[in-house]
Amino acid sequence: MQHYETLFVLKPTLTEEEINSQVEKVKGILAKEEAELIATNTMGMRKLAYSVEKNNRGFYTVLYYKAQGTTIAELERNLRNNEDVIKFLTVKYGKAKEIVQFNKLVALTNRSSQPQASQVSEPSESQPQISEPSEIGESEQA
Amino acid sequence: MADNKKFKKRYCKYCEAKIDHIDYKDLSLLKLSLSERFKIMPRRLTGNCKNHQEMVTVAIKRARHTALIPYIVDRKNVVENPFEILK
Repeated sequence: MQHYETLFVLKPTLTEEEINSQVEKVKGILAKEEAELIATNTMGMRKLAYSVEKNNRGFYTVLYYKAQGTTIAELERNLRNNEDVIKFLTVKYGKAKEIVQFNKLVALTNRSSQPQASQVSEPSESQPQISEPSEIGESEQA
Repeated sequence: MADNKKFKKRYCKYCEAKIDHIDYKDLSLLKLSLSERFKIMPRRLTGNCKNHQEMVTVAIKRARHTALIPYIVDRKNVVENPFEILK
């Protein structure tokens, strides 16, 4: 079993029910292939940086799961044939170091999906605050 | 102006923040290595270390593929506020 992450973008023209059914459909494929779904990050409706199939917005969903390698071929075949999916990307977390990061991402999504008082008390620990990147602007002005 | 540039010490912002993995969905991290036209900035301008530059390069390419950030910004495809979509 390997660790994988799949992001897919659904068309903005779908209704809420249709979006849910599409997401469930993808999860159903994973379940059928005996993959272990660990976390789901619903990024929601976002503006696309460039138009894809004449769509300017898209509904982003990220799935974190453990699966056999053959699952990916089946999953991607289904995503490719599905006309409601306009973009998808699968990333494999293979090395031990990457798996540590995978677990961190899972913990992060689990935390953000349950908005509680604890979240306010520890503001995004895994995303260290960086000073505003004025560096880029300055270097270009100079 | 040239003098300021000469004495400005560049450093790797990712090392400073102790980031050991750059996620392609975390646009606030990618922002540090992007120009106004969403090009990948070279190390000689940003001061990134080799390790982090390689990580951020892969992450930016993934983010481009998933339409999180644009491939190009040109006259046909103008972004009014370049960094607004990164929020």
